[in-house]
Parts: sequence; structure tokens; C-alpha cells
Amino acid sequence: MFRAILYSQWKWSRLIVVLGTVAGFALPIMSLQGAARADRGPLQAQELLRAVQSWGGLYPVLAAALGLLVAIATWAPDHRGRHVHALSLPLPRWRYVLLRFGSGVTLLVGPILAVLVGALLATTLASIPVGLQGYPLALALRFAMAVLVAYAVFFAVSAGTARTAGIILGVIGAVIVVQIVASVANVELDLLGKLQVVILNWPGPLAVFTGRWMLVDV
Amino acid sequence: MTNAIELEHLRYRPGKGFEIRDLDLHVPAGSIYGFLGPNGSGKTTTIRLVLGLLRPQAGQITVLGERMPDDAPRVLARVGYVPEQPHLDPTLTVRETMNFQAAFYPTWDGPRAEQLLGQFQLDEQRLFGRLSKGQKAKLMILLALAQRGELLVLDEPTDGLDPVVRRDILAALLEYVAQRRATIFISSHLVHELERICDWVAVMDDGRLVTEEPMDKLKNGTKRLRVAGARPPAALPQTPFVLLAREPAANGGGETWIVRDWRPEMTAYFETIGATLQDVIDLDLEDSFVELLRTFRAPAQGG
Repeated sequence: MFRAILYSQWKWSRLIVVLGTVAGFALPIMSLQGAARADRGPLQAQELLRAVQSWGGLYPVLAAALGLLVAIATWAPDHRGRHVHALSLPLPRWRYVLLRFGSGVTLLVGPILAVLVGALLATTLASIPVGLQGYPLALALRFAMAVLVAYAVFFAVSAGTARTAGIILGVIGAVIVVQIVASVANVELDLLGKLQVVILNWPGPLAVFTGRWMLVDV
Repeated sequence: MTNAIELEHLRYRPGKGFEIRDLDLHVPAGSIYGFLGPNGSGKTTTIRLVLGLLRPQAGQITVLGERMPDDAPRVLARVGYVPEQPHLDPTLTVRETMNFQAAFYPTWDGPRAEQLLGQFQLDEQRLFGRLSKGQKAKLMILLALAQRGELLVLDEPTDGLDPVVRRDILAALLEYVAQRRATIFISSHLVHELERICDWVAVMDDGRLVTEEPMDKLKNGTKRLRVAGARPPAALPQTPFVLLAREPAANGGGETWIVRDWRPEMTAYFETIGATLQDVIDLDLEDSFVELLRTFRAPAQGG
């Protein structure tokens, strides 16, 4: 069963997965392109850190994009068939959802491994200045976490109906409207700031996306 | 005789308008059961309730002896289902679709699937999304038959297909029933088609059951009578048959009665009311169906 679902999902997601894998492999290599030679001084090391940091912003973007697109592709065949085929299969619904979720995760292993291999290759081939160190494994693990978090969130949202999506969008819209009204009325209310703290700061669910994504650091 | 499907006092209301009300159905095991009704009468909704795709608000559904939707996975393993609209993954080829389906059904009959693939002349490398309407219908029938289910639930499987494809599909179904003694629950609004193959028939309209009876009884028991000299309806004593409609004859002489549960010995009734039965005209299933619906809707229109 898993193989059958994985295969059907591969047909829907293969372009996303292949492009994600290429991007995941290229990103660490690009971030250390022209990396400092061993004879570079402290200033060059700082330049390198700045370059690595600026490229680092792309990892959470890639992770979120991969999670989103694979989650959408995961449910696409079922949405298209109005879930009739899925619901008429002889297995409990929770098991079907697990199979779908599992096959999406399996497909995401490719881009995650690509980041790991690219990061290992980049740190091995580059001459890293003294005092700096490569963290390929930590970066790949963090990327894996971010991809899985994004996939899980969007998988849950995509699993719902258009009504569910509408409710979620409605709640987000309501928060924004309340915030705007509060600012216009000079009421001290920082809803968005509080939400940001709850969601993006540790131990918020999306904390993994924030902070510095450094392949090379002190 | 046991029933393959039993619905008791089923109620389902998806929104404000349409509602399935107090629906009772009894589909005998081994029968070919035709489920007739105009578009929008609730056939597809009923089928989805039977298969556990929808959850009823009230009532009881038993399929192959098990409660639905609670036992849906176990029941669905024994049921072949062809929905009204093609619902399969359009990115899979015919062969891939067969492999996908086979993975979920332990009773999958590979050799039979191959035989039907040849019989239906389907190109196994063609994507499902690129098949014609007739080819899609054939593939869905193939999948349902190769699952070797004890019950086939077919929701307008031949709707919009050309006569050749329809004949191929119906022939495959009849062959399956003959070999496996399976039950077929087939919905359609193509009355003539069901007339040829079904031994039981139910008629549904506006979410309610109009009638459920053996095909022979419906066909042979529904008649158009030419009657002369009958009293007004209020003065008429109890009839031994069900009087569906009574209207002036088209040529101006006497009346036309549409009746159900007619038997030849009932001609004596007309002597007792001082009327003359001039003619008894057989109705085919389509005429019976139309008259049943007309009568069923008449009180609502009047009130």
C-alpha cells in the first residue's frame, strides 16, 4: 500500500522534489563559493561569515517552499477526485492519512540529504579560516526539522476543505483587522507582536525557521 | 433471503435544501437491484451513505451484514464501487492505476484484470486523464470486477456512453453475476437499461423512496385502464388495486386510470361499481416510472 501511494505521490511531486534536491545541494556550495583561503586574516573571516549568513536566509525559505509544495501535491490527487477514491478504499481514514503523510516525508528525504551532502562537500573543499568551523550536520538537521515542520503544517491545512482554509484565512484576516483598528484608535494592543513571540520564538512551533542559519561559524 | 444492503429510517441532510427522509431499502443478496430516480433525487447521496463516505444523521445502514460507516474498511474490502464521476488519479497510466488498486485489495484477481484489459481494448500505457469517457468507464468497471467483491455498487456507470460501450459493460456485469453470484446495486436514470437486467427495482424522488419491489411486479402490475361510466372519486368504494391517477381519456370518452398491483381477476371490481372496463394496457418500465413519479409528486404540488 505504501509503495502504491508513494509512487502516485512521486508522479505529482517529482518536479518539486528534483528542483528542491538540486537547490538543496547547490545552496551550501554556493554559500562557500570563493571561500577564504587559509591565509586570510580576521577581516576576511568576517566577510566570509557575512556571506554565509546572507546565503543562510535561503535555507528556511527553501524548507518552507518544499514543505508547502509537497504538502499541496500530496493531497492534490485526492482533492481532484473529491476524495471519493480515497474514501472508498478499504482502510481506516487515519491509516490513509498516515500513508499519505509518510510518503510525503519519504520524498522530502531527497532534498534533506542533498543539503547534507552539499554542506559536507562545501566544508570539505573550502579552506575555512582559523577560528571558524563548518557545521554541515547541524545545518542539515536544522533544515530537516524546518522542512518537516513546514510539511506537517501545510499537510494539515491542505487536508482540509476549502471551508477549513477559509476559516484559517478568516482568523488571520481578523487578527490583522483588529491590529489595524487598534492602531487607528490609539489603543495599546500589539497582537501581531505577541503572536510573533508565541509562534516564532522558542519554544514556538515555527522557531526553527528563525535565527541564523550558518554553515560556517565561530 | 438475506439482504446485501439494508437501510432503516435513514435521514441525511447535507444543507438547507435537500434531505433524505426516513429511507428504507432492502437489497436482496444475489439480486441485480436497479435504483431509479430523476437527477437530483438523492441516488448518489444514498450510495455514498451506503458506502460510508457520508455519515447519516439518523437511521441504520447494514451492508453485507456489517454496520456502516463503523465497519467501513472491512465492508469496502468486499465491495466494488464505480462512482458517478471518474475519480481516479489522472497522472497514472491504466497499468499503474491497476497496480495501485491491486495493492489495496487482497482478493484482487490479476488474471481476470488482464482478461478484461484485453476484452475492453484499453491501452495500458495511456494516462487515465487522457482516456475517453467510455474508456474511463471501462477501466472503472475493470477495477470493480477485478476486486472480486460480493457486492458491486455502480452509480450511473453507463451514463453518457455510446451503445457499444454500454453493451460491453453490461455484458461484463452479467457475466460477473453469473460466475460469482454477486449482488449488483446499480443506479441510473436510463430506465430501459435497467429494465433489461434488473430483478428488483427501487424508485426514489426528492430524497424519498417512491417504491421498492421486484421488477416483474412493477412491470406486470402497473397498467393503464380505459374505464367508462365510473362514479366520481369521492363516491368510489375502496379499490383492490392502488389507483395512481384518474383522468379523462384523451378521445373524450370515459376515463384513463393508472393503477398499481393489478391482477386480471380485479376486472370484477368494475361490475360492482357499475362501470365498464374497456381496455387494460401494459405499461413498460419507463411509463410506470413516469406515472409513479407523477403521482408521488401530485399531493405536494396540490398542497
